[in-house]
Amino acid sequence: MISLRHVSKTYERADGARVDALKDVSLDIDQGEFVALRGVSGSGKSSLLNIIGCLDRPTVGSVRLDGLELARCPDQDLSHIRARAIGFIFQSFHLLPRLTAVENVELPLLYAGRRADRGKAFALLNRVGLAHRAGHFPTELSGGEQQRVAVARALINEPPTILADEPTGNLDSAAGGEVMQLLKGLHSEGRTILLVTHDDVLARIALRHVALANGCLVGLSTNSTALGPDAAART
Amino acid sequence: MTVGLVVGIGVLTAANFVGESTRRETVKQMKNMLRSFDTVMIRPGASRTRGMVSLTNVPPTLKFEDATAIATQLPEIARVAPLQNAFDIDVKAGDRTDTTAVFGVSTSWLSIQGDEAVYGRLLTDEDMASRARVAVLGADVAKELFADESPVGRPIQLASVPFTVIGTLATRGAGPGGASLDDIILIPLTTAATRLFNRDYLTMLVAQLRDPEHTDAAVADITALLRQRHHLAPQALDDFTLSSPKAVATRVTEATSTLVRLVWGSGLLVTAIGAAMVIGIMLISVGERRSEIGLRRAIGATRADILVQFLLESLWASVGGAALGIFLGATLALALMSLQHTPTVLSGPFVGLAVTAAIGVGILAGLYPAWKAAHIDPVAALRA
Repeated sequence: MISLRHVSKTYERADGARVDALKDVSLDIDQGEFVALRGVSGSGKSSLLNIIGCLDRPTVGSVRLDGLELARCPDQDLSHIRARAIGFIFQSFHLLPRLTAVENVELPLLYAGRRADRGKAFALLNRVGLAHRAGHFPTELSGGEQQRVAVARALINEPPTILADEPTGNLDSAAGGEVMQLLKGLHSEGRTILLVTHDDVLARIALRHVALANGCLVGLSTNSTALGPDAAART
Repeated sequence: MTVGLVVGIGVLTAANFVGESTRRETVKQMKNMLRSFDTVMIRPGASRTRGMVSLTNVPPTLKFEDATAIATQLPEIARVAPLQNAFDIDVKAGDRTDTTAVFGVSTSWLSIQGDEAVYGRLLTDEDMASRARVAVLGADVAKELFADESPVGRPIQLASVPFTVIGTLATRGAGPGGASLDDIILIPLTTAATRLFNRDYLTMLVAQLRDPEHTDAAVADITALLRQRHHLAPQALDDFTLSSPKAVATRVTEATSTLVRLVWGSGLLVTAIGAAMVIGIMLISVGERRSEIGLRRAIGATRADILVQFLLESLWASVGGAALGIFLGATLALALMSLQHTPTVLSGPFVGLAVTAAIGVGILAGLYPAWKAAHIDPVAALRA
């Protein structure tokens, strides 16, 4: 359960001007929800994702993760929460170029204080259909393959929440479709998925839409045409 | 990537090994020649004579009576060893000939030098008193004239004067400059003065001190006594020269250590440049790996994790560079020393020091870049 109350985020730009990235946002996301976070570039959706992902703190307001107040957590505690509770998937993959696919998948175990587990990393690569590419370096993989490695990496610490920031933004539609199928599968396992996208078509697989404009929450809607696994059950 | 460190540490290693080896070899050679460092050497003549002193190249100012006066009038002097010596004396034994140095010595010389006989015996006070024509051969001379036979009791001729061999000396090895100290014949000083050289002056006097801590006082007393005995006017220069083996050894060692210091200086400079290069390289590396740092932070790395990671990388680069430098420097030192035929001393403490210094450089040079890396904002780093 992620709970935001009156969250505002103000940045100071290099020229000294203040930018209000988020203005008085209140939002609850239940465990197991699939939420699409939508809005044009600069609407504040990345700022919101960073705050929910414990990469950033709000300037004003309260952020609770399963009741724990994050806004006042020390930096080190936020790192531990990121390691164990959150899996990130980025638009530009962010695989480490000097590590092989399987080593990239294994990396988060290090920061969660867990023992290296090559077998588990292989199993996750197998799940995203890349067992045969385990020994390859990121530069030897296609964009779609790199993002699937990143999905496997996000899963290795078994986080309840997956944050995906434009995960298909750098992919062609076929590769993007594969990644979205993976996200759907993760949702069906009971994980909370927060998907940032400005693609209406992709957003349709989410059960709930949150729209941002100029840092303000402008729309909350439940997507009755969602293609998610639960959607079929409801109709 | 740490060429500066490799070169710097390499130069330091070579300088240290060469310097230390040379110093030890020099001290060893001085010890071979002088045996004891608690002595003062007195030579005739105002200035230091170039090369080895010999009866043919010293002024006749230092007399037998001077030796007696120093021994009897100065309480801080334990004993005095007067010496008459000459080089290039022709020696004949049967049909074998050699050219060697002949030293006319007293028994006190033998005890200061700590000479030991391998065969036969050394010179005695009776030999002195009777001006006996007896000779003790150095190891090289004995081998040259008699090969493997025992020379004891055999007749030889020194510049056509007949002598009898009474013993041979234990080998002493190389003196300063690497020349052999075994190419020598010892005869009684009294015999040398009256039967071989026919001179009434000395080439050298060695005074052994009761307390080596008071060398300066002894030098002053000997100077005053000799000036008085030689009737020198106050403004006149000394007609003799005093030196202590300690001072000579220090001078010789200093000559090499000046060079070594110079090399040390440049080595330290290059090492400092190497450290600056490590800082620069680490800063560039942090800049290039911003997105990696952001990613690591996103998947749960704390600032401390990032700090440690970059410190370890810097440490690894520095220690690796130092290890390579030590290896290359030691190889260079071994090559240089083998050209000089000097045994090389590879100093363990120095290697320890160099590795410790490299670890220090690694940590210090890595600290700032690592701190910068740890404080990169992950949000900004991931956006880039």
